[in-house]
Amino acid sequence: MENRNYHRTLFLTRFSLKRDWFKLTTWSVLLVVLFASIAAKFTSIYDTQASIDEIVKTLKSPSMISLFGKLPGSGPYTTADVFAGEMTVFMAIMAAIMNFSIIIKNTRGDEDSGLLEIVQSHSVGKLSNLSSSLIELLIINTIIGFLYSIGLQIADLPGTDLNGNFLLGLGLGAAGFMYATIAAFFSQLVDNSRSAIILSYIVLGVMYIARMTTDVSHPKATWFIPFGWVEKFSTYQDNNWLPVFLMLTLSLILSIASLWINNHRDIGSGIIATKPGRANASVFLRGPLSLFWRLHRTSIIVWVIGLLILGFTYGSIFNTIGDILKTNPAMKQLVGASEINKANVMIIKQFVALLMIVFGVLALFPGMQIINYLKSGENKGYLELIHSKPVSRNYLFTSVLILGALTSIVALFAGMWGLQLGGASVMKHPIELSVFLKGFYAYIPPVLIMLAITAFIVGWLPKITSVSYLYAGFALFVEYFGKLIDLPKWVSKLTPFGYITKVPVHKMDIETFWWQLAIAAILIILGYIGYHIRDLNSSN
Amino acid sequence: MTQEKNAILHIDHLQKRFGKFQALKNVTFDVYPGEVFGFIGPNGAGKSTTIRTLLGILRASGGTATLFGKDVYKDSVSIHKKLAYVPGDVYLWPNLTGGEIIDLFLKLGNTKHSARTDEMIKRFQLDTTKKARTYSKGNRQKVALVAAFSTDADFYIFDEPTSGLDPLNEEIFQKSVLELKEAGKAVLLSSHILSEVEKMCDRIGIIRDGVIVETGSLSDMRHLTRTVIQYQTINPTTELKDFKGVHNVTLETDGLTTFSVDSDQISPVMDYLSSKKIVSLQSTPPTLEDLFMRYYNSDEGR
Repeated sequence: MENRNYHRTLFLTRFSLKRDWFKLTTWSVLLVVLFASIAAKFTSIYDTQASIDEIVKTLKSPSMISLFGKLPGSGPYTTADVFAGEMTVFMAIMAAIMNFSIIIKNTRGDEDSGLLEIVQSHSVGKLSNLSSSLIELLIINTIIGFLYSIGLQIADLPGTDLNGNFLLGLGLGAAGFMYATIAAFFSQLVDNSRSAIILSYIVLGVMYIARMTTDVSHPKATWFIPFGWVEKFSTYQDNNWLPVFLMLTLSLILSIASLWINNHRDIGSGIIATKPGRANASVFLRGPLSLFWRLHRTSIIVWVIGLLILGFTYGSIFNTIGDILKTNPAMKQLVGASEINKANVMIIKQFVALLMIVFGVLALFPGMQIINYLKSGENKGYLELIHSKPVSRNYLFTSVLILGALTSIVALFAGMWGLQLGGASVMKHPIELSVFLKGFYAYIPPVLIMLAITAFIVGWLPKITSVSYLYAGFALFVEYFGKLIDLPKWVSKLTPFGYITKVPVHKMDIETFWWQLAIAAILIILGYIGYHIRDLNSSN
Repeated sequence: MTQEKNAILHIDHLQKRFGKFQALKNVTFDVYPGEVFGFIGPNGAGKSTTIRTLLGILRASGGTATLFGKDVYKDSVSIHKKLAYVPGDVYLWPNLTGGEIIDLFLKLGNTKHSARTDEMIKRFQLDTTKKARTYSKGNRQKVALVAAFSTDADFYIFDEPTSGLDPLNEEIFQKSVLELKEAGKAVLLSSHILSEVEKMCDRIGIIRDGVIVETGSLSDMRHLTRTVIQYQTINPTTELKDFKGVHNVTLETDGLTTFSVDSDQISPVMDYLSSKKIVSLQSTPPTLEDLFMRYYNSDEGR
């Protein structure tokens, strides 16, 4: 019985590896090169003990702990410690994104498109597809883990040791596989890939925020959060392998659970089934704009609330961050209470300035997704019937632009508002919303430029719509990590975010505001022209 | 010429090129009010490309195509007000119900859910409360068909609309198309179910490799092909195979002889046979299938 269920699993694994080789190679190369090159760079940035002590002081501040996790152990720290402290959480997030996208596509995605049905009609076991996908990702995560380890070994950061290199490398690989099993589990639970993606990211988001809270207040409690396990490696300090085994155990449990569900359900169904709906359209569903809203409603709400919560969480650590007396108790004798308060507010503003890019880019994603729907919906054939209706292309283009831009702007605002609310919930003298709105206004133009680029690509180069996501990811990386890894200044000028003044520490630059809006407008107009004259190639 | 003036659809030397590949080389035909025009051809011949060009989804590389006298690309929005379309592969938003999608399509066409809509839903026996995700191919087609049939358009385009329907629903589809025809609407029906085309279409256009190779009514086209005749005579008919237009003369075991003859050469052959004293004779008129095969097999090496 068991044998039949897994019949030809390894054959399918080989097939998937072959089918996905480009995707797998791209991800692996991207991750490993990113990881190893940053490691190599660290030797030159943090070459003196003074520079290490400097960055360690920063990393030990609550704001940095909330972003990158708690720096484990005690000093004197080495370059290797700094590297592990800065990179672990970030690489774990990258691993989650990669694994989510691959396993959901290969399990529920193939089931949605009917591919799995064809495969299952052949002599393959009922569980072979899921188990082969799990094996595929186990293989690829193991390879990436080894490459990380070897990369660290070659980079030879001062303060590394063999055990730590392999712990960090393979540990991140194990984390990747754990995310694969989480997504595999949700793919079995719900009956369509969209819901599986949304659920997986919600769980990731909740875990990230949970570990942020525990890291700042009760680091021990982070042990209860699977996302936080990567921080508990304590690489190059204690070199603790326990978290790796915890991750593998959880992966095993989730794998068994997914296989069990798969075995007890019909193809095309899930445990959480789709309910029947209404027999007639509501009065609100009446045109392209309302249709696009309806299609993206769930994801818009999830993003906006998600950013509100993220903002609130960051805001709720303002009292810890903005407590200058903690690091400098002597100040109380030197300056008055109002001076101290001012200094505290300044620290918080600095922290918010660093966070702005996170909110900016996160707010971009749902907007880009909506604009790209003109292409993705076209590819899937959903828009063909719309194209046969008396609805002009300009109207369709305008509809996605309006909805996309509004979504991004509302999401950005939600983040800022969340910061204010979070701050107000813990501070004696809350910071006013107007301070955060400075950041909000300043970030509207670059966000609009990024959306305009997306629109331009949809109009002229519909084959490469995914480039806009990569560009946004690049912007996040450059602005967020750029200073830590000492990237040259010009790199930051490659994205519109690099031209924004440090808000809310400084005032918004009105000139930048206008020229960026002008660029956005030009790109949008060009996008209209491109979309107007190109063929709308549908699925076949 | 007079006919050309009141044609609803007028296509003249339409061409479409995708990069190096020329999908449409020369497509020329007209469709008139009150007629069902059958558009037939094998997979990849250019049927859907032609239809997508007519819908303004693709932009023609050459030639002209007008609907209601307007350019299909430039005036697509105003043309679409009087047009209904059912694609060959219907893809619907998985998280909307069939009912919601039908209503949305109607609203996009500036009409409303009417008694006619309810009647069509009943006719096709569609459960409109189900999410599109759960529909089979046939049910997805029904959604598009219900929306199209309850739209008050002047021109209807059906691109292989019955490929997922069962025979019962196919029958309902044919009945509904005939109603449109009686109401004086023009219908463009692309299909490769030849029996369906034979039954419903007034005129037919055959496309092959992006070129319309033949248009006309089925009876017009019959002369293009051969009639199969099976007979028995008292006297031997040894000269038969030497007649012009006679092919494949075979003597069956039961004494019957079968041959095929070009339709325009039937008279002299019949005269000859009757001179040999016919005992029995059976003739089979050419079917659309023969016609089709003739275009796609006989001159393959063209």
